[in-house]
Amino acid sequence: MHIPDGFIAPQMYLPLYAAAAAAWAYGAKRVGQELDESSLPWLAALTSASFVLSFIALPLPGGTSAHVTGVGLLAVVFGFWQAFMAASLVFAIQALLFGDGGITTLPLNALAMGFAGAMAARGLFLALRRFHIGLALFLAGWIGLALPALLIALALGAQPHIAASATGEPQYFPFGWEVTLPALLIPHALLGLGEGALTLLGWRLVERLRGRYQHV
Amino acid sequence: MSERIKLVAYLAAIVAASWLTSPVWLAGGLLVTLVLCGRAGPRLLRQAVLATAAFSGTISLAYAGYVWWSLHRLPLDWLITVNLRVLLMALLTFLFITRVNLFQALSFSRRLSFLLVLAVSQSLVLKRTLAEFRLGLESRSLRPASLSARYRAAAHAIAWLLDRALANAHESAQAMQSRGVFK
Repeated sequence: MHIPDGFIAPQMYLPLYAAAAAAWAYGAKRVGQELDESSLPWLAALTSASFVLSFIALPLPGGTSAHVTGVGLLAVVFGFWQAFMAASLVFAIQALLFGDGGITTLPLNALAMGFAGAMAARGLFLALRRFHIGLALFLAGWIGLALPALLIALALGAQPHIAASATGEPQYFPFGWEVTLPALLIPHALLGLGEGALTLLGWRLVERLRGRYQHV
Repeated sequence: MSERIKLVAYLAAIVAASWLTSPVWLAGGLLVTLVLCGRAGPRLLRQAVLATAAFSGTISLAYAGYVWWSLHRLPLDWLITVNLRVLLMALLTFLFITRVNLFQALSFSRRLSFLLVLAVSQSLVLKRTLAEFRLGLESRSLRPASLSARYRAAAHAIAWLLDRALANAHESAQAMQSRGVFK
């Protein structure tokens, strides 16, 4: 479920835009010194893959399903900056072309899921792969979902503290950390198990196809 | 009005709407936006309501229940203000999507335009093929697929997706090079 515009106070999303803009500028530099005929289609392909990944339903016991973010898989297969730039572009396309999510929540999603999620997934994978690659991939997928959930819960729970009326009433998202942390962390810690399993399976299948890839 | 000016106007309107905390100003903004929508107003309003209902409805009901349970009153000010703001900002976005060609609005950067066109066109093709994969899995058995079969299908779909995305990147790069796009 995407957070629509109107729940995040400008006191938070404007500074987040400044931080995200700096990360996007540096990320664009890292992905390709300047986008050229080889790096531009590459970034477009990653973006489209990331966009469509969000439509893949992850089956859960009991007949329900959750949707893959794919950030962990993208980070372990292609690298942190590529995953961050692709995820950011996906959020922008979803907001500006399909009206899904919000333009004011874009920097929060990009920094929490694309930046922190991808960085944690890539870091954990690199740190643990020498001990047990399967465990490293599983934990990378799990952290790629669980850490962004923690950061988004912290951001949402901060809203009543940073934007309240003179009488103390909230003006944007109404619940504090005592509600947002368990509400987001518990389900995402469980959903992360599925994302971890899929990161492991996705990696194994990509490994079989690795010979065809030029950039991996 | 050029597409770029419309993009800037949309962004300015979104930032302004996000600062509003008075229901009267928000209702006025919603009315003005509906007038700007013209005959498409009811359709765009319906789209805006549908796009935001799940999140706004859940949070509104939960907060109303919480305040009622703890203070024995309804948080009417919050309910009206936040839901009006969410609706206004969503309506502005759907008006923008309907009226503004984003590809033209970003034409100040040739490479950004190329990136957007490539990403969106590939996304739509990949999304359609993925839907065909799902229908294929469902059509192969009379009974619903088992959990392990669905996991395997999802993993194969992801591997195919990454493989296809990379092949597309290679083809696009060759096409751009052969046409001298960046010369």
